[in-house]
Amino acid sequence: MEIRKFVFKRLIEIIVIFFVILTVLFLLFRLAPGDPVTRMVDPTMTPEDAAHLIAQLGLDQPIWLQYIYYLKNFFTGNFGISFHYGVAVFSIILNRLPNTILLFSTSILLSAFVGIFFGKIASWHKGKKTDTWMTLGALFCHTLFLPWLALIMIWIFGFNIGWFPLNGMISPEIWLDSSSGFWLKFLDVAHHMVLPLATLFLIHFGSYLLLMRSSMLDTLKEDYILTARAKGLEEKVIRNRHAAPNAALPVVTSVGISLAFSLSGGALTETVFSWPGIGRELVFAVSNSDYPLALASFLLIATVVLISNLAVDVLYAYLDPRIKY
Amino acid sequence: MALLTVKNLSVGYHTRKGFLKSVQGVSFSLDQGKSLGLVGESGCGKTTIGMALMGLLPDNASVTDGMILFEDQDLLKMSKKEIRQVRWKKVAMIFQAAMNALNPVHRVSEQISEAILAHDADISEKAAMKQVESLFDLVGIPQDRMRDYPHHYSGGMKQRAIIAMALACHPSLIIADEPTTALDVIVQDQILSAIKDFQNKLKISVIFISHDIAVVADVCDNIGIMFAGQLVEYGRIEEVFDAPMHPYTKSLLASYLTLDKDVVQLNSYIGETFDLINSTTGCRFCERCSVAEATCSLVAPEWVEISPTHKALCYQCK
Repeated sequence: MEIRKFVFKRLIEIIVIFFVILTVLFLLFRLAPGDPVTRMVDPTMTPEDAAHLIAQLGLDQPIWLQYIYYLKNFFTGNFGISFHYGVAVFSIILNRLPNTILLFSTSILLSAFVGIFFGKIASWHKGKKTDTWMTLGALFCHTLFLPWLALIMIWIFGFNIGWFPLNGMISPEIWLDSSSGFWLKFLDVAHHMVLPLATLFLIHFGSYLLLMRSSMLDTLKEDYILTARAKGLEEKVIRNRHAAPNAALPVVTSVGISLAFSLSGGALTETVFSWPGIGRELVFAVSNSDYPLALASFLLIATVVLISNLAVDVLYAYLDPRIKY
Repeated sequence: MALLTVKNLSVGYHTRKGFLKSVQGVSFSLDQGKSLGLVGESGCGKTTIGMALMGLLPDNASVTDGMILFEDQDLLKMSKKEIRQVRWKKVAMIFQAAMNALNPVHRVSEQISEAILAHDADISEKAAMKQVESLFDLVGIPQDRMRDYPHHYSGGMKQRAIIAMALACHPSLIIADEPTTALDVIVQDQILSAIKDFQNKLKISVIFISHDIAVVADVCDNIGIMFAGQLVEYGRIEEVFDAPMHPYTKSLLASYLTLDKDVVQLNSYIGETFDLINSTTGCRFCERCSVAEATCSLVAPEWVEISPTHKALCYQCK
């Protein structure tokens, strides 16, 4: 009951914030240097033709009028047509989004699970060799520079050993062949995903490990852990039932926020691995002043961030009985 | 036959400044069904004794001397597994009424049945829950609050739940470490009568650790006064209260407010707390003592028997 009220209130807030973000983004892109037309047209075009093109895109109108049009279209579910591709922005995003979600949610969930698991173990052996090596390993991986690691991975496993494809998400010959079934396609994508997934995993699991470790160390100092020990419970039970659920709470927040930001944060990875996702499209749209595409991509990210924050709050209420809204 | 005999127990902590001798040469014994109060100021080692009895001393602590005989077995010589089986089954603990003694993410009933299930391999979860119900009746918490989370409870209820938890496995000894410290006086009184109640009914021995001498006087048969890691006076409650022998006990009792005496000025101690790292050989209380003589600071005091049940660690008592 109370939680429904809370979610409703937060949704209203989210809608207001969303339109503030929309307005700011709209203005920012128009104020940024460079315009889409100079990138599109070839230099031999007459000024009249260029002006005609600008008028066609609606860019000769005053900004406030453009803004009104954008809002009007937005409410009818029309996000505009990409200047560059000439197709509806909506369909481009719809096409790219699942690829990004596939790669990043897999990598975040995988690194969170591994990080939580080993963070728990490291904290349990605090100050011993296990802890030292795990912490050092986590720190080392966490501080690696992502594009560098990505290139090294491609160089070793893709180029030298040749286990995995160099880039991309699918092998065209398999997908164009009508005889290949679901499993073949599935394995093909999985095969392409190994290197980007491993790269993202190596970069991210360390932060979860360190977070879980320090959170566990704080939790282990709590009185209820002493109670659990005094009850004569086995160490394993104390660790898994009494300490870990409490210690995992901050990690859950972190996972939620990472999931949200992965949509944008993936630009580097997607570019290096030529992964056809939203992050790569975003970089491309911004550098080409493809206003409708860039704006829609950013709005998507904003929405995901806002919604996942809400989701984390709700999840928290489920995990921690003390939290009431 | 004594249920518990502590002989010459010495415990210290490895700290950055050196080895801190928290407890030195403490001996006492406790019969089945009796209760002992350990009283002293913060840092005098009373909680350390409690933790040593449970085998729950922190990693940086080490027992340097002595033995803890419980039902004729030395707890200090037990393996980790053996001591785990003694905990709660034989020796349970009531912790401070601090908010944190119960795990916030588990239901209270689950936390109590967990203790039952951990020590009885044959019992079903249902039967354990039935036992929890009767424990709740015993300590006076309505059964419909069983499945609540700890944060739904008031401080007094939490402490009752912890008492219920301590009784869950029918232990023969309960160590109550400052069980009423964080509670207001009315709830404090209820909790104390609850403890007295189960002690009489179930014939459980209790070690009561407190800094509040009045609380101990209320519930205990024997009392041990602790100062700077040593037991300085030990005796039956009425003996110690009627005829305190050690100067520290005297000053403790003098600073305790009663309704039947007009007290204009309360006693307050002069001097610093005793240095447990670089301790000297002489009497530890002599710096604060009003009757100290020159020899007190040089020669370690010895036990003086006032009666077969009453003794004090002071030369001036002779």
